[in-house]
Amino acid sequence: MIHFSQSLTRLIGELKKLPGVGERTALRLAFHILKSPRLGKDLAESLLEVHAGVRFCSVCFGITEEDPCCICSGERDETVICVVEEPQDLLAVERSGAFSGRYHVLHGALSPLSGVMPADLKIAELLRRLEGSSIREIVLATNFSVEGEATALYLGGLIKPLGIKVTRLARGMPIGGDLEYVDSATVQKALEGRNEL
Amino acid sequence: MKLDTIQIRSFRNIREAELSFSDRFNIIVGKNAQGKTNLLESIFLLGTMKSFRMGRNGDLITYGSTSSLIKGRGFRGSVSREIALSIMESGKKAFIDGKPVVRPSDFFGNLNMVVFSPEDIAMVRGLPEVRRRYLDRAVFSGDTGYLSIHHEYCRTLKNRNALLKLGERDGLDAWTERLADTGARLMVKRESFTDEICGLLGEFYRRIAGAGEEALIRYRSRADTPDRSVAALARSLRDTLEKRIPEELRRGTTLTGPHRDDLECLLNNRPLSHHASQGEQRSFVLALKMAEIEYLKRRWGNPPLLLLDDMTSELDRDRNGNFMRFLREKDMQVFITTTGLDNIHLSGIRNYSTFPVHDGRVFTEVAHV
Ligand SMILES: [Zn+2]
Repeated sequence: MIHFSQSLTRLIGELKKLPGVGERTALRLAFHILKSPRLGKDLAESLLEVHAGVRFCSVCFGITEEDPCCICSGERDETVICVVEEPQDLLAVERSGAFSGRYHVLHGALSPLSGVMPADLKIAELLRRLEGSSIREIVLATNFSVEGEATALYLGGLIKPLGIKVTRLARGMPIGGDLEYVDSATVQKALEGRNEL
Repeated sequence: MKLDTIQIRSFRNIREAELSFSDRFNIIVGKNAQGKTNLLESIFLLGTMKSFRMGRNGDLITYGSTSSLIKGRGFRGSVSREIALSIMESGKKAFIDGKPVVRPSDFFGNLNMVVFSPEDIAMVRGLPEVRRRYLDRAVFSGDTGYLSIHHEYCRTLKNRNALLKLGERDGLDAWTERLADTGARLMVKRESFTDEICGLLGEFYRRIAGAGEEALIRYRSRADTPDRSVAALARSLRDTLEKRIPEELRRGTTLTGPHRDDLECLLNNRPLSHHASQGEQRSFVLALKMAEIEYLKRRWGNPPLLLLDDMTSELDRDRNGNFMRFLREKDMQVFITTTGLDNIHLSGIRNYSTFPVHDGRVFTEVAHV
């Protein structure tokens, strides 16, 4: 490989860490940024801002600027919680408009293979939310991947003994599909047809 | 669909080749290590996206190139179709009629094929994993949905094994249940394939070896419940798994499941591996291949392409002739590699093309009449 200046090499290296970005894309992005100083400055500022201004809600662990987030503090059905893997999954369910309860973001799925164990997810936090609450139903909306399915089963095993109804999104979704990429109508149907676990 | 033409660039030792095939017999002839099997492998890749040899993508690309391209053309009904596969170190990309294939299921089922290689002969004597590999490939060629279940099972198994290796019980029940569930779906598909092909095997074996001989295959698993439904098998598998958890934690691996199952080959009710002569074993595998071809023909409406890798050295004169007669009766497109034309029983076969291969270059000798 040709050696660029050190700062350019660093930029390429950092870009390559982003999901879906390989050597060639990183190179293209880096040169694009290099050629437009304005974009570089705006991008750098927004990157710093996002970490200073945005954080995770202390109740549901979704993305928010104020804590608790507008969903946790707003007028919603308090008896149902929809559990998702990632903050972007919360947005996918929200976009469908078919759910009026509250959320809980796990920040991942169980994957012993990649070293993700129950303690690495916001599971203990979810169980604490259930203690002495008025919650009647938990909707498990983890992905339909191997890991997402195992996580749903695991949570079902923990929550059902508490006397709370546990449901799982209907399998109207593409197999192995990430909730994030599924269109709103499909999410809506999956929510309507959810089954008791 | 049959393969009318192929275009190859930078694939193993073949830098460039453009060939038109006969719709019946194509004989690829050359000394060893000239590139015969590479040509056969490129055809296999067009049908399955996988190689029948072990190795990484990088091994497929000609030394000094960054990518390989394999492009095949044929007709599906009256519509022409082009299937292309581009291989890079980082992965493979498939195109149908110039459009990138997004879902694997759109790719599979276009070019159906069966390979017959010396490894298949070794199968009856080999380790169970060789027979499982055969079974997985065979089930998949008739049921493309098998791939995603197989993939799901392997991934679940790896996760469960990772947990067992850590000696961790928290979460194990969930992975056990998932494994039993996917495992049961996998077993049902394997069993229904085995059942269906078993009758055909017996028929073809009698045709080769004479009446009164009984050849059969049986899927062997530890889930011994009379009810072979997915639900019943999952229950049985889960029970067995749960019983062995202490032992599994000690050994750090999953001890029961379809990844441990076997395909039992029996001749007159005795295991083929111990009680049959080498000749009987060969006839058995030959009959099994014929059964597989017949099964796929019924499944897809037309016969698969047959890829014969260096088989003539494995079969004696009688079995060879027998097999060629079978192929002649079916309207099949066949690709054969051999070190010499004399090894093949071409008597009665009028429509064939020969492709001499020398040092990665492929030549064409036009069909004989
Ligand atoms: Zn919140």
